[in-house]
Amino acid sequence: MAGSVKALILLAFAGSLGLMFLLLACALPQYNNWWPLFVIVFYILAPLPYSIARRQRDDLGSSSSVMELAIFFTAGIVISSFGLPIVLAHAGPVIQWGAAALVMTGNLVMYVTIAGFFLAFDGDADSWNYF
Amino acid sequence: MCLLSIIFQREIPKMAGCFDSMRLDCECLELGERRNAVAAAVSGVLFFTGWWIMIDCAAIYPSMEEMHHAYHVCGVIGTISFFMINAVSNGHIRGDMYSTGCLGQRGARVWLFIGFLLGFAAIIAAMWILFAAYVVPGGSRSQWPGIAVVLQNLFIFAGSLVYKFGRSEDLWG
Repeated sequence: MAGSVKALILLAFAGSLGLMFLLLACALPQYNNWWPLFVIVFYILAPLPYSIARRQRDDLGSSSSVMELAIFFTAGIVISSFGLPIVLAHAGPVIQWGAAALVMTGNLVMYVTIAGFFLAFDGDADSWNYF
Repeated sequence: MCLLSIIFQREIPKMAGCFDSMRLDCECLELGERRNAVAAAVSGVLFFTGWWIMIDCAAIYPSMEEMHHAYHVCGVIGTISFFMINAVSNGHIRGDMYSTGCLGQRGARVWLFIGFLLGFAAIIAAMWILFAAYVVPGGSRSQWPGIAVVLQNLFIFAGSLVYKFGRSEDLWG
């Protein structure tokens, strides 16, 4: 469907924008420090709890305790990906505050992308047909 | 002994129900069906912010003289209390679950009681650490570790309260 192809392209653009901010934080000559790449671990972990819970939930109520636990852990992963550059810039400092700000901007864009994936491809059974 | 059992059987069910009727805030904010998701997200933010405050403090002050490593125990106890408090649902306490679980209704109440006990103990211990090890002796070392321990445990306890009372079990269907 044309609608979902357009969404996919937009999400790919947003994702590459987010990674661009992250790589800028590492590769700019005044920073030249590759520690910020560790937030990629949080980008990979962030969709996992919600995806696992979505397959487990019972359709009886409008919410379920498994989904709430997944939202709890997702919030924790998001906070951790913002906490890591702050701690790196504050303690040491291992990276500079400008690099931390770039990392956090990249975080924001990446999480908007990940949320966009969940919104655009709503987890109905037919969204798996594209694979 | 009789008095304790009266308290367990009569007073705690009444108290457990008082937060269920906390609908005023949620209607003002028009949360409705998303109340549980928002509460879970807020609770996650609070809990993990508490831990990252402690991570930051431990990274800045790695030595035992500036921050004794045993102060981490308060946060661990707070985390254990989080899981204990949220392991039992309000339905277990009120007794209207179909299965009794492995502890039964009285066991669930004791579990919740111990959970809250540990939570309060963590906060009190953190306050004690702040005042006894940092504020009262004074000296040249930084006060931030003591404040960080208190903030960590306050955030963790706030997270467990929001997770416990911010969600409505009616939405579970």
